[in-house]
Amino acid sequence: MSTAMILEQLAGGMVKSISIFCWTLLFSLPLGLLIAFGRMSKVKIFGRFRIVRGITKLYIDVMRGTPLMLQLMVVFYGPFYLWGANIGGFRYVAIILAFSINYAAYFAEIYRSGIESMPKGQYEAAEVLGYTKTQTFLHIILPQVIKRVLPAITNEMVTLVKDTSLAFSLAYMEMFTIAKQIAAKETTFVPFVVAAIFYFIFNWLVSAGMTKVEEKLNYYR
Amino acid sequence: MKKKIMAAVLVTVMAASVLTGCGSKGGDKTFTVGFDAEYPPYGYMDDNGEYTGFDLELAEKVCEMEGWTLEKKPIDWNSKDMELESGAIDCIWNGFTVDGREDDYTWSQPYVDNSQVIVVAEDSGISTLADLAGKTVGVQAASAALTLLQEDQAELAGTFAGLQEFADYNSAFVELQAGSVDAVAMDVGVANYQIKTRGEGYTILPEVLNSEKYAVGFKKGNTELCDIVDADLTKLAEDGTIAELAEKYDIADLICIGK
Amino acid sequence: MDILRMEHIKKSFDGLEVLKDISLSVKEGEVLAIIGPSGSGKSTIMRCAVMLETIDGGEIEYVGGKAAWTDDAGVVHYADNASLKEIRRDYGMVFQNFHLFPHYSVLKNVMDAPIRVQKRDRAEVEKEARVLLDKMGLADKADAYPYQLSGGQQQRVSIARALAMNPKILFFDEPTSALDPELTGDILRVIKDLAAEHMTMVIVTHEMNFARNVADHIIFMEHGVIVSEGTPEEVFDAGNARLQEFLGRYEAD
Repeated sequence: MSTAMILEQLAGGMVKSISIFCWTLLFSLPLGLLIAFGRMSKVKIFGRFRIVRGITKLYIDVMRGTPLMLQLMVVFYGPFYLWGANIGGFRYVAIILAFSINYAAYFAEIYRSGIESMPKGQYEAAEVLGYTKTQTFLHIILPQVIKRVLPAITNEMVTLVKDTSLAFSLAYMEMFTIAKQIAAKETTFVPFVVAAIFYFIFNWLVSAGMTKVEEKLNYYR
Repeated sequence: MKKKIMAAVLVTVMAASVLTGCGSKGGDKTFTVGFDAEYPPYGYMDDNGEYTGFDLELAEKVCEMEGWTLEKKPIDWNSKDMELESGAIDCIWNGFTVDGREDDYTWSQPYVDNSQVIVVAEDSGISTLADLAGKTVGVQAASAALTLLQEDQAELAGTFAGLQEFADYNSAFVELQAGSVDAVAMDVGVANYQIKTRGEGYTILPEVLNSEKYAVGFKKGNTELCDIVDADLTKLAEDGTIAELAEKYDIADLICIGK
Repeated sequence: MDILRMEHIKKSFDGLEVLKDISLSVKEGEVLAIIGPSGSGKSTIMRCAVMLETIDGGEIEYVGGKAAWTDDAGVVHYADNASLKEIRRDYGMVFQNFHLFPHYSVLKNVMDAPIRVQKRDRAEVEKEARVLLDKMGLADKADAYPYQLSGGQQQRVSIARALAMNPKILFFDEPTSALDPELTGDILRVIKDLAAEHMTMVIVTHEMNFARNVADHIIFMEHGVIVSEGTPEEVFDAGNARLQEFLGRYEAD
């Protein structure tokens, strides 16, 4: 296979890796916030058990405590084994779903640490000024939380770029799967080196972009 | 402006990924063949980035006869059973060894007479299976060769210093070259392809570990589909198509169908 | 006319009674100073007044309506949310640690609540905000961010922020305690100016001389009860032994 063809194939795989990356962020970033709320919920049943808090805590523990590759398999094959569902066209959706629910768990904990680190005085000042709870969160708390958690979010995003390669376990034709196939055909490791360079460039762009955002938010301390 | 361009690119990428995800439906019946795209010469990516190989071309011929649309579905070999059982693929057609798995699938007639062989470095001084005593032997995870060494040839394997499982043949050959394994067990067709592509320096031991058959594996009980494919294979053997393909992929001496 | 009336307020934290039956009232245009040692409950009574703490007993009534009351069974009821929202418009608060919104410019800190909470016209609010900042001597800091200001400047912004809501009564919770001594003068002058304009105010403070100077009425609290109250002359010259001891200790600090 010519070098140009190897590059073309891997570039095609990279587009798919990027699409996993984008869709996952699109769903997991807001979902994480929702889970963070659940994790901090004070709702009780029987006047004792913090039911929402308990459930989200368990969710986060499971998502963080089991391998992502296994979660991918459970999400894809699970519907068939549980309900005999036809999962033929479900592969891509399963990948996005599995990545999203996994990363949402990590994002939830990052949000929570950010929200809990906010000084009480910000809430009190807003309350006395008459802001509603929603206004307080959206306009006073959240913008500051975002600034605080940005470095941790960047960390997760960089990890996500590399984790997209786990989609190979569902034989999705992202960059790493294709690199493996070319390597088998060519009986060389060169495609892996090229793939590594691609991942590096991808991540370099991601962290450069996030640095830009951080700089933008540096107008206050 | 830069942001808008970025956004446009992202949206395009995401939209394209969705469309390609759903766009592969066409024809009356789709015949989805699951294969390991890291298994030349039976199934692999060719110079143009297309999936090809002896097994895939044979599947293509069957589809032509039946008027089906062939969908070549690369799978992760470790997940092959889940893919098949869940219906994500119709069959496993990819140098798929019958021996040891007779009762696990509904099988077509065998079409390749394969043997499991041992590849060693030419200068290793190993020339018989007995020479492997005290040596480390590499074998692909979840492969027929591994099953063989754990069951029928367990006695031989007992003389080895150890069995080293690996994920793909590249790693195996690098280990062989580096001396961290002394020999690698694999299918003869794969061995021929690897040695041909890698050039001099390796040899196949004349003593084989066993002789076994390749066939197409269907989900247990799916005799309806199996019978159609089976009948077509017979026809393709009779009209010489199989022999022609075998010639092309350099496995003519292995063909057992129609003989 | 009473702007605020608090009757028989009780409050405990984890079984520890910090307010034992406190009653007070503030008339329109009056300046009330609350003094007392740490742990006397003086900040807690203020936090109860602005509803950052809930009371365990008693009654709170603003000029705009009753905020909380206790029924015959001893259960405290707060007004419904809509009424509380109305009542909150009556008062503003200045915190010890300012609690400015760090991500907003000085001008936006002052303008945001009137626009977002009171839904007032932006142009009109901005005009008023600039007048307020000018009055606080911060006209040139409108576009600065809180972190760029000194503590005294930040506290003046927070006063402007509270005033922008046009409250009927303004609470100050130890407004100078977090400031360097040389910066307290600015804040005290601002409060004095407001008093001269007949702004109704409640000030929890350690600044005895200031309290004496600016207040119309003084409450001295200790251990959750009012030990002494009256005009500055009445309180400071009354010869109350506990108060004298407190003042003596305070001046010795």
